[in-house]
Amino acid sequence: MAKSDDCVHILQGLLVFGNVVIGMCGIALTAECIYFVSNPHGLYPLLKATENDVNAAAWIGIFVGLALFALSILGIIGVIKASRTLLLVYIILMLITFAFEMASCITAATHRDSLTPELFLKQMLENYQKSEPANNSDSEVTKTWDELMLQNHCCGVLGPSDWQEYTSAFRGTHSDADYPWPRTCCVLDAQGLPLNLDGCKLGVPGYYNSNGCYDAISGPVNTHAWGVAWFGFAILCWTFCVLLGTMFYWSGIEY
Amino acid sequence: FRGCSGGSTPSTAPPRLLITAQLRYTPVLAQSPPLKGQTTTSTFVLDQPRCVFQDYGNADIWLVVALAPASSAFNNTAAPGTPETAFQRFPDPVRAYMTLNATLGSYPCPKPAGDITVLRVGSETSCAEDTTRPTCNGPLPGPGPYQVKFLALQGSEPVAETAWSGEIMLKTAKSPSSISTTGSGHSAGMIAITTILSILFAILLAALVAML
Repeated sequence: MAKSDDCVHILQGLLVFGNVVIGMCGIALTAECIYFVSNPHGLYPLLKATENDVNAAAWIGIFVGLALFALSILGIIGVIKASRTLLLVYIILMLITFAFEMASCITAATHRDSLTPELFLKQMLENYQKSEPANNSDSEVTKTWDELMLQNHCCGVLGPSDWQEYTSAFRGTHSDADYPWPRTCCVLDAQGLPLNLDGCKLGVPGYYNSNGCYDAISGPVNTHAWGVAWFGFAILCWTFCVLLGTMFYWSGIEY
Repeated sequence: FRGCSGGSTPSTAPPRLLITAQLRYTPVLAQSPPLKGQTTTSTFVLDQPRCVFQDYGNADIWLVVALAPASSAFNNTAAPGTPETAFQRFPDPVRAYMTLNATLGSYPCPKPAGDITVLRVGSETSCAEDTTRPTCNGPLPGPGPYQVKFLALQGSEPVAETAWSGEIMLKTAKSPSSISTTGSGHSAGMIAITTILSILFAILLAALVAML
């Protein structure tokens, strides 16, 4: 009996420990998802315009994190009191939370896969400097691209040749001879004017930004998506173990 | 009276033979430094003809831009600034126009090292529609192919010319709707997450059923 008591105590201890970890990870997940939803890199207008809400996964993550925290407290109480009802409620609610978090991880990973350079290229060509913006989101796209190109010293998605290889809304209002690429692709001086306008138009190395902005976009987007997806995956693996242990413990409790 | 016995009185001026010197220089697109805008959809960049027209200090050096098939039909006696060589009537009916007038002073020889000496053909947008400026260096109307040569005129007579350049093709822009955004499939990470989580969830459901 003493041995079986010891086993039960060890199992209880492990389950309490497991639930504590789940609670802390739930808080961490909520905090991480709130950070991503707050749009720290200013890229949300671009992502919004791609008709894929990458933030959906983060929003689900916020609520799942809070649910995990609450349920972990419920689990600790249920394990210590060895109450079958509480633990049954805990198991069922945890399974529902598991399903939601699974959806969040898969959504984050799938949306990340859909954010290819071609998607951003098409969006940029069709919306940048649109002369009559149909709604606010088009002018936001222009503002976001301008800031992106200024801060990261880059031009276009893959390079300045984007503006030459494709026609665009920009090309409709700006002639190719005067604007082979937008002025924000030029190296600018302290006043925000091109250092050498002719050098920029000719494409002389040193007077224009020759690399594309895709790396500057995909970096934060990757961090966002994989942060939600992989952290959620890790939490779920741990939750899986704790849930199996809880189910085993539950079936061992006498009425 | 005494008349000439025949023939005509010879003129006192010596006969002038008009030979346009064929200079051994072929205009090329600017190669150094590497320029991103060497050819765009309506402009291209040539090297300046340095140390080529050294013997023609008094001449005006013009650039002749022609549609490639019509280059051999160009007549050197065509005068710049006339409707026959006006940019605004290019490419139809005018098949070759003359622009970028310069004198030898604009192309000093030798070229200082480190200087970028280029001519951008197509850079003047302000006079592209202005028929009072037939020698406008306006943007080219199509992808080409074009051929160019330099022609030195003294007064109105051609005295020297370079060879015709090779064919210059400009860029053609595609429509953005031709970009395919259907995606490149799913990454390994996404597939791993989906399969593993599905398996875990299935095990949990099975354990729940077994438990109850």
